[in-house]
Amino acid sequence: MPVPTAALVSNSQMGKKSPTESHIQVDPQWAWKPYEPCAEQPWNLRWAGHLYRRAAFGATWKQLQQALADGPQKTADHLLRPQVDINGFDQELGEYESSAAKSESAEGIRAWWLRRMIQTPHPLLEKMTLFWHGHFALSNTSVKNAQLMYQYICLLRQNAMGSYESLFDGIAHNPAMLIALDSEKNRKAQPNENFALELLQAFGLGPSHFTENDVRETARAFTGWFVMKNQSRFIPREHDAGSKKILGEEGNFTSKDAIQTVLRQPAASRFVIRKLYRWFISEIEYPPDPLMAPLEESFAKDYDIEKLVSTMLRSNIFFSQTAYRKRIKSPVEFALGIIQGMEANVSTTKLGQDLAALGQNLYHPPTIKGWPGGRHWINSATLLSRCNLANALLSDKSLYGGKLSPLAIAKKHGFSKPDSTCKFLLDLYLQGDLDSEARESLLKRVPQSTEANDYSLELNQYAQQIFSLPEYQLV
Amino acid sequence: MSSTRRTFLKSSLGAATLFSLHPFVPAFLSGTANAAVNQKTNSDKVMVVLQLSGGNDGLNTVVPYADDEYARSRTTLRLSSTDVHKIDSYLGFHPEMKALSQLYQDGLLSIIQGVGYLNSNRDHAIAIRDWHTGRPHQASCQTGWFGRAIDHACHRDGIDLPGILVGNISPPLGINAEKAIVPSIRSIDELTLHLSNNVDQQSSVNGSISNSETDNPILDFLRQSKVNAFNKSKKIAAMAQSQKMNVEYPPFQLAHSLRTVAQLIRADVGIKMYYTELGGDGFGGFDNHASQRDNHAALLRQLSESVAAFMKDLQYDNILDNVLLITFSEFGRTVKENGRRGTGHGIAAPMLMAGGNVKGGLIGSHPSLTDLDNDALKFHTDFRQVYASILDQWLGLDSQVVLGGQYEPLNILKA
Repeated sequence: MPVPTAALVSNSQMGKKSPTESHIQVDPQWAWKPYEPCAEQPWNLRWAGHLYRRAAFGATWKQLQQALADGPQKTADHLLRPQVDINGFDQELGEYESSAAKSESAEGIRAWWLRRMIQTPHPLLEKMTLFWHGHFALSNTSVKNAQLMYQYICLLRQNAMGSYESLFDGIAHNPAMLIALDSEKNRKAQPNENFALELLQAFGLGPSHFTENDVRETARAFTGWFVMKNQSRFIPREHDAGSKKILGEEGNFTSKDAIQTVLRQPAASRFVIRKLYRWFISEIEYPPDPLMAPLEESFAKDYDIEKLVSTMLRSNIFFSQTAYRKRIKSPVEFALGIIQGMEANVSTTKLGQDLAALGQNLYHPPTIKGWPGGRHWINSATLLSRCNLANALLSDKSLYGGKLSPLAIAKKHGFSKPDSTCKFLLDLYLQGDLDSEARESLLKRVPQSTEANDYSLELNQYAQQIFSLPEYQLV
Repeated sequence: MSSTRRTFLKSSLGAATLFSLHPFVPAFLSGTANAAVNQKTNSDKVMVVLQLSGGNDGLNTVVPYADDEYARSRTTLRLSSTDVHKIDSYLGFHPEMKALSQLYQDGLLSIIQGVGYLNSNRDHAIAIRDWHTGRPHQASCQTGWFGRAIDHACHRDGIDLPGILVGNISPPLGINAEKAIVPSIRSIDELTLHLSNNVDQQSSVNGSISNSETDNPILDFLRQSKVNAFNKSKKIAAMAQSQKMNVEYPPFQLAHSLRTVAQLIRADVGIKMYYTELGGDGFGGFDNHASQRDNHAALLRQLSESVAAFMKDLQYDNILDNVLLITFSEFGRTVKENGRRGTGHGIAAPMLMAGGNVKGGLIGSHPSLTDLDNDALKFHTDFRQVYASILDQWLGLDSQVVLGGQYEPLNILKA
């Protein structure tokens, strides 16, 4: 029995919430049950758009229509495990990426990853790869090696929906990671405490769930690991095989043991699940403990990322006001949403540069903590640059070459009159979900021109207005 | 519509009028937006950091022409008492620095001598990293002091855009912040709104901002941010289009950047920290291991004339008192020439500081030319003392938060 939607809305005073307090009042049992459309919360275009913004990088008109017909659970099935062959696609893109990586082109691998995000039949996998890139946040500024950076992203992708333990283990021994944390030589006599600190703090547990001693002992467990000829190698004679005490457990721990010990901590599941909650559900408030407890309990047993993501994306709380438009789009989400809707291809080399200017330089997160996201994406310069990027994407005078055409995409889907074209664009990008005032204001600006060229320009301007709306910045 | 008419409309109306605020922007939005535009947290004080890339030869910038040791060490590069613009009986500016010499005489320039740091590195990449992070010998530090100052200003004072880079280089580590996104621009145009269709005056892009607060705090935040951003864009566009020319800037990249900085300061959009650069990407133009004379002279001329024009521009509008420009380079150079009419990587060098509120004159003594550290001048002032003094005394920020330590303040500003 679903609780009424009203009970889900946060009950605090608007805008006066401290992010450390939680005001969400939800029954955890109800929250994580799969959403079934009902009279109070019917399945409609709005929720289909919501699902595609979160689990993919936006949707085409056809995908939205298909989702409407399929319902939420079947659409989620499709997003989680698309019934198409992705190996062919993966292989083809992989070849381009490898050759860019071999020629040490950081710009090249960045462009190919964006191409992958746009064209992949499995966008959720890329969305999760991007999530992990922000969590295990390595930057080529530190690594200075495009091949290793590309291999690191491949590792993230291979495990993005798999086992968190395998992912963590792979990352902790990844050569790019060791280089980034200045840990290419973990000698017995000189354990690398900085590496151990970041492993515990930035990746494993978050701040303040461990002691200095845990850091020292974890560093000892990692002795023997070296980077040689760009590969991780274990040199047994450099490993400190003595007894270590990490987070209350004691033994002759190897690096693998140390990781298992870290992940056994309740704080480990808690840390990563809350990050994922912020990624998929809401960045407005920290979720209350009772809400998160069922997920943490389950995840600690199997570290199954896909299962966790599946629970979140199918849940009642995901399809509620607690989640709806409660995240700010990252630059990647902003731009790719526009491109997906227009079913177009653009130069992703140029796009990679422009997204970097907006604050999201793929392969170069600002620090080991990743992109802080949320309100940090927005300042008066980046918001303006978003409007200008929308303009550049639409303009035939920019380096993007005018491949995005609101006119053409509307025609393709059977809308050719000015009124219906504008309504189509609003439905495609915002599912028509705009308050009446903003909607009226936009409708006043329906293109009037009878001259074809001017009409097309006016329609571009109309689309730019949509992409400049505060509502469009929300995912 | 014909393209001529389009061009006409574009030029006569100008982008600024095309997206004037919707007349019905709700009070709660415009109020906060104006407050944001007119942010005067602490003061209107502005800092401009000018990076001289490659390791500037301090000895041939502020020249100890009367020192015999200098003449002996610089067999081909030495500048004589008749070449330099004299500061006193010992020091003089490089011959190409006439304009800065004039500023010095007017009390608008001071020279902080002998700046460096303990166990400084003579490798470009490491030395510049140390100056950028302000945390020497901490290879793992990923943020710059300038970036951290921006994070601090955002966090403590709620300023949305406290700092930017204006210049032609890829963003240096110095401006990297953990949280804030620090824009890098080459021209002022990048901070103004571009419309798809400049013909349609009716279509104000930000017309569709709703009147009421919602139950979604981030939507309200975005609405305020948009009004704020468009207001600023309007101010900047007006400034960019203004035909007013206080001074003529010389035709150098640095002058272009500083002119942009001056325009942004005048636009009064709350930017307190500017970062700019001379010398270029790679090792940087100041790295002259061979045939130094002409290269160095050309760069110093660019530095001198660009900064002087910038100062004059600000003075014309009576805002020079609000601006402080400081130069730095990753290291000075060796005292001795290297046999190829160039110099090697050194240690201490002077930092130049210009503005209406600098103390003027020489600060600290000139390092000895005989008591050397592996042929380089020894430092007596830590560069973080300079950072800290500016952060605390000029910008009103907390240098301990930014630098992660306490540094003895310097007496470099007018009381």
